[in-house]
Amino acid sequence: MDYPLLLGIFPQVFLDGIILGFMYALIALGYTMVYGVLEFINFAHSEIFIVGAFVGVEFLLGLKSVGLLDGLPWPLVLFLTLVAGMAASGLLAVTVERVAYRPLRNAPRLIPLISAIGISFFLQDLIRLFESLWRNAFNLVYPTIDVLNLRFELTETIDVSVKSLVVIVAALLMLWALHVIVNRTTIGTAIRAVAEDQAAASLMGINVNRIISLTFLIGGAMGGAAGVLFGVQYGLINPYTGFIPGLKAFTAAVLGGIGNIPGAMLGGLVLGLLEAFAASYLSLLTGGAFGAEYKDIFAFSVLIVILIFRPKGLLGEIVRERA
Amino acid sequence: MAALFDARGVTKRFGGLTALQAVDFALESGIASIIGPNGAGKTTLFNIFTGLYPADEGSVTFRGRALFGLRPDQITALGICRTFQNIRLFANMTVIENVLVGMNSRIALGLWDVLSHGPRFARTEADLSTRAVALLDRVGLQANANDVARNLPYGDQRRLELARALASEPALLLLDEPTAGMTRTEAGALMRLLRELVVDLGLAIILIEHNMRVVMEVSDRVTVLDHGEKIAEGPPREVQSDARVIEAYLGTRGSAPQRARRA
Amino acid sequence: MSLSSVLALAAVALSSLAVATAPRSVLAFLAFQGALLFVYLAWIPTWLRVGLLGVALLLLMPLIGAFNGYCLEVATQVGIFAALALGLNIVVGLAGLLDLGYVAFFAVGAYSWAIFGSPHANVIFGGGFPLAGAWFYAFLFVGLFVAAITGILLGLPVLRLHGDYLAIVTLGFGEVIRVLANNLDKPINLTNGPKGITPISRPPAPLGLPYGEYFYFLVLLIVVVVVLVNRRLEDSHIGRAWEAIREDELAARAMGVPLVRMKLLAFACGASFAGIMGVLFSAKQVFINPESFTFLESIGVLAMVILGGMGSIPGAVLGATVVTVLNLQVLKGLSLWLNELKNAGVTVLGYSLADLPTQFEPAKYERMIFGVILVLMMIFRPQGILPARRRQRELAHLER
Repeated sequence: MDYPLLLGIFPQVFLDGIILGFMYALIALGYTMVYGVLEFINFAHSEIFIVGAFVGVEFLLGLKSVGLLDGLPWPLVLFLTLVAGMAASGLLAVTVERVAYRPLRNAPRLIPLISAIGISFFLQDLIRLFESLWRNAFNLVYPTIDVLNLRFELTETIDVSVKSLVVIVAALLMLWALHVIVNRTTIGTAIRAVAEDQAAASLMGINVNRIISLTFLIGGAMGGAAGVLFGVQYGLINPYTGFIPGLKAFTAAVLGGIGNIPGAMLGGLVLGLLEAFAASYLSLLTGGAFGAEYKDIFAFSVLIVILIFRPKGLLGEIVRERA
Repeated sequence: MAALFDARGVTKRFGGLTALQAVDFALESGIASIIGPNGAGKTTLFNIFTGLYPADEGSVTFRGRALFGLRPDQITALGICRTFQNIRLFANMTVIENVLVGMNSRIALGLWDVLSHGPRFARTEADLSTRAVALLDRVGLQANANDVARNLPYGDQRRLELARALASEPALLLLDEPTAGMTRTEAGALMRLLRELVVDLGLAIILIEHNMRVVMEVSDRVTVLDHGEKIAEGPPREVQSDARVIEAYLGTRGSAPQRARRA
Repeated sequence: MSLSSVLALAAVALSSLAVATAPRSVLAFLAFQGALLFVYLAWIPTWLRVGLLGVALLLLMPLIGAFNGYCLEVATQVGIFAALALGLNIVVGLAGLLDLGYVAFFAVGAYSWAIFGSPHANVIFGGGFPLAGAWFYAFLFVGLFVAAITGILLGLPVLRLHGDYLAIVTLGFGEVIRVLANNLDKPINLTNGPKGITPISRPPAPLGLPYGEYFYFLVLLIVVVVVLVNRRLEDSHIGRAWEAIREDELAARAMGVPLVRMKLLAFACGASFAGIMGVLFSAKQVFINPESFTFLESIGVLAMVILGGMGSIPGAVLGATVVTVLNLQVLKGLSLWLNELKNAGVTVLGYSLADLPTQFEPAKYERMIFGVILVLMMIFRPQGILPARRRQRELAHLER
């Protein structure tokens, strides 16, 4: 048992976990907000997330091709990319809701869920189709911005890249912005009202359909932001990369208590940390017998265990009981 | 000979709310009604009797057998069956299919019998059909056997629920507001039917009811619950004029005569 | 003889002729299948229906196979997926439990024969393997039981879950099985990981039949048995209990239906069909690896059930046929056709097809097909193309 080694990698693993956690948190928000107002799992959210990543990469590649990528200051570039990704994902989410979920709002619960699965698959291949025709490639690499790849040495054994810091800061800003919107604005109150009790909210004069669309917009935008950050952080994306992180982010949402926004944030962080530790230590401790792919099973096992033993999650469900 | 049904000291709390407080209830035969203002705990009592959730304190025995810890389907197999306050039919199945499902606990067929379509299967299915038709006949729905349950008029749906409950060959039937929404004629017909069932099948019946006319007409005994406690029990006439009962329903003394006339 | 009988006979005869004269033509084969569907649905006497279908499936199809081996392969795959769809139909259609990880049972069956019917078992046990090909028949039952047990193991923890959560948990299980298959090559090499297992023994073919024909007939036989089992289950107290559970679980329980036992039975029955077919699949393919058992396959089978009609036996078979043919023949045919057009230098609106990006290959767009099927069916015809009676009532009132 090489304790110095195990301890030595701890800070790095912790950092990786935080970054991963923030990303899961941002994606999880989309799942949890939609579940809050509709009691419905938006299975296609994993593709809404990856569409953000693709819009981001296209935007950056576009800038690169006109020579602006190195010309403009990198915070501006990043900001614009995020905006592009968020806008695209948000609008996509709203469209999907209108087209594939709204007509099924009164159907038995399985029906819209199956529709969501269909949309998820459809979008995956739609992205593939678009990129195949546009770029003749659908495994895309995020263009590098040199500044972001610089690494700081925090201590002798830990270093962190500028990229990671940027991701953390961006995620924090976005989470804070969401918190403000949901808790300090009228719109946010309306969303919370619809999540509590749709009938009462509409009796109070709230346009429920509009609020639902807005919820999808915001949730989608968060997912899109996560997509861009994911691309920036990990570099390589393809149309099918959204599926697993999406599933894990859903796990995070359930872990924190589905429908509960702070819960999604907490769940995301917890899952990210758990997974980072599982990935690093599991392999080391078992001498390579259980490799890194097992971290995926780890997340799924967490999901299965929570749903069976504590479906309310850590912070409890804010959804009314179905009679 | 063990008592048919004996519940003692049944207490149930939901969080801070005490829904039932040390309620005793026993029945040997005949029709007993449980009445009380809304929220008195009547359906909660039924839910405990049928195993939906356990009581926090107290015991419930049926033919000497403790019901604590048994699942609802096990309790049905023992011989207690219920209907629901809101109709819970299998809406998209036909009338006769609903009744056939009710017989589930009395079917002794295994997987192999079904797959092999052996003689036992054929005999049992034929027997089930005959019994189902007989039950529908008894409640007056034999003409509707192949109709879809959701398409039946309300009164017929209630009767189907009764037939379905009878399908499990219970010794004790628990009916939760069986005449709700019925016209006076329909309610009267149902009550006559219940009386027949008690005589023909030796059934014991517990009714939850709000319809006082029905209660007074058909019950051998009436139990009154209020805020989770039993406040009166006895023959209908006695309970009707019990001061505590009147107060529970009206809250004040005073307009009692009008109430009594309407009942 | 009525008009429809004449039409039925003509359809079968003419389409067979078309295939005989143009064995490579996808359209001709589609016409043949269309003719069979017509025979199934038409208002003709039962003896004629059974007779025509029998002749078509037992005689004509193998004959077509002699002209075009690929058509027979497609037919065999249709059969395999039909059994899978029928299995999922029990779980989703009858009992109303949305299982998104169904392919796991298929994998379990496949690996059970793959391990013991190939030299790979020597790696685990040290010698004495592979089992002789004739053991395959015994393993059909082994696969059945192993898959059924896996179904029960899956069912136990998920019993109390409902709708959405049940779906996600089963999805998780499916993924767990896939990752396990991909990674169980250490510490003990059970599945040989991503490299897969090969060569897998085949049973000796009776009557000296070529393997293409042999597996086709075997699949056909198994599908017939599966259909029979399904019908018997459906028209029994078991089927009624499942439907009751799907309608109203609380009421079902109150009426004496033992929920746990019934749900587990649904999982076990559904899984067992996948298990048998898994064994057959590995013997037929001679090589399996985790790539054949992904979420894509689970959704594919779901799409088949949805398309055909949840809870409907003919629907499941139809759904399996349509989806498999779409993927294996139509999409593939489109790819081939596109290549031909490219090579011939065809232009569309001034744009030369040869300039199309090389990455664009219609054959790869299975996901899009599944996705479109699922969404369109849910919005426009949730009860499926050949709906089961009860589902028709349940969902018809949603139609606009």
